[in-house]
Amino acid sequence: MKKSNIPESQFELQVPESLKTEEMTISMGPQHPSTHGVLQVILKTDGEIINSAKPQIGYLHRCFEKHAENITWHQVIPFTDRLDYIASMNNNLGYVIGIERMMNLEVNERAEHLRVVVSELNRIASHLIALGTYGLDIGAFTPFLYVFRDREKILDLFEEISGARLLYNYIWVGGVAYDAPEGWREKVLEFCDYFEPKIKEYNDILTYNKIFIERTANVGVIPAEVGISYGVSGPSLRGSGVNFDLRKDDPYSIYDRFDFNVVVGKGEMGTVGDTWDRYWVRVDEMVESVKIIRQALENLPEGDAKETVPRNIKVPAGEYYMRTETPRGELGFYIISDGSKMPNRVKVRSPAFCNLSVLQAIAPGVMIADLVAIIGSLDIVLGEVDR
Amino acid sequence: MRQYFKNIYEAIATILVGMGVTWRHLFTRAVTVQYPHVKRELPERSRMQLFVEMDDCIGCMACQRACPVDCIDIKTVRAGKEEDLGETSNGQKKRLHVVQFNIDMGKCCYCSDCVFPCPTGAIRMTPEYEFTTYDRSSLLFKFATYTPEQISELQERERKEKEAQAAARAAKLKAAEEAKKAAAKNDETKSE
Repeated sequence: MKKSNIPESQFELQVPESLKTEEMTISMGPQHPSTHGVLQVILKTDGEIINSAKPQIGYLHRCFEKHAENITWHQVIPFTDRLDYIASMNNNLGYVIGIERMMNLEVNERAEHLRVVVSELNRIASHLIALGTYGLDIGAFTPFLYVFRDREKILDLFEEISGARLLYNYIWVGGVAYDAPEGWREKVLEFCDYFEPKIKEYNDILTYNKIFIERTANVGVIPAEVGISYGVSGPSLRGSGVNFDLRKDDPYSIYDRFDFNVVVGKGEMGTVGDTWDRYWVRVDEMVESVKIIRQALENLPEGDAKETVPRNIKVPAGEYYMRTETPRGELGFYIISDGSKMPNRVKVRSPAFCNLSVLQAIAPGVMIADLVAIIGSLDIVLGEVDR
Repeated sequence: MRQYFKNIYEAIATILVGMGVTWRHLFTRAVTVQYPHVKRELPERSRMQLFVEMDDCIGCMACQRACPVDCIDIKTVRAGKEEDLGETSNGQKKRLHVVQFNIDMGKCCYCSDCVFPCPTGAIRMTPEYEFTTYDRSSLLFKFATYTPEQISELQERERKEKEAQAAARAAKLKAAEEAKKAAAKNDETKSE
């Protein structure tokens, strides 16, 4: 029988000559609260240090692409809502603009402006969740409550214009589902006035908090080359100092008419591309979004937003790749049509999936607690990773 | 060493700044709503529960075709020639008995795509949101007002009508065929 290592009493404690150590495999998730959904990460750890981290995905797979092959063009829109369920407006927009470009459809001016307003409002709502849950991951609970209070106001605006709070089905081929109700424009402007001072509040309570900075600065640095080679996009890539924003670089809808800045990470608190930079890009992007909303509402033309919505959607045979800038990055819809009433194929290039893939490259060598900070800063939504 | 104390100072200072924010929040009004006791009024467009005004439904099945998740199940029976089913509120004549109009709210994805194609505005989303149940089967909402006896009677009548029609059609076909044969025979005799 093998002799036990456990000493009989503490006085006989002896350190073995060669202490046997080995890599430990830990599976983090899929029920872990800070993996933002049902993500499982298989960690190989040496003590507290991570040797390798492999994301295991697929727990939220709902066959979006297969579904899209069996329903009509219009019926796909509610399904796109459910990809990235906290920025549904932006998902609608990408798919719809793809079809419109295939059909060569001109869209009513008022509808275009409303689209920009709702998708920028949704960007703010999504970034607010990113900030709040990121604070929660690090251990700051109060900002989470504050951002949810303000996000609630955006959801109320959405409920008034589209009737739903989360899955809107609002942006349609050729226009929008409903025109803005009376007084909605003033309410949005009121929200902008209310919201701008709140950003300073978030900065006071979380962004410039020394403890928060210590936890996030110089952690999980994504160098620009690594980010580009892994296909990272959106605020996660801009945090690494790369000036890449599809609203500027490949303008869609009417984004080329607005004056706004692309926020890039500068390494204010540590290295360029660390988690604090990615967080900061999101904070500053909300300011830019408010700017865009103000400009769009200022020039909001009168008219009927449903004027150009076609009765039957007839997409000519062909293929098109449409990419838009969602709060998470480049969302691409590769649409193939054979001229029938259903799509032949709708392939989604989801930004959260590509952003998550960089985890394997930057995780080795960090502590387990820092991995939580890294996953939070990538701002993934599992609905979009798995589709 | 200096850095060490500087860090401590900064940590305390920034925490105090944050505490200042929370302190100010102590004196603002609460934004939470005590839900079961206080109920927020929802906007008109709220998409919560589907409702069908059966008096207005003409059984065209546009909603059933528009539904992306197939949660609507309609069955209709053609009305008799001398039967008058009345008109809808926007003046369309009803020609079909809608004997079954089931909506499974457990399947519904609340996209309201069924609402827009309806020609009479019979199906609509209501701001009614409190319809949670303990049993999934009670989420199946049945809107049709026909009793099972009436339905079986109507279906029986339709079956008989269809049979009669089929018989008539068969007889017609047969007659046509016979006429053809006769014509062919005539041709044969002529050519001879």
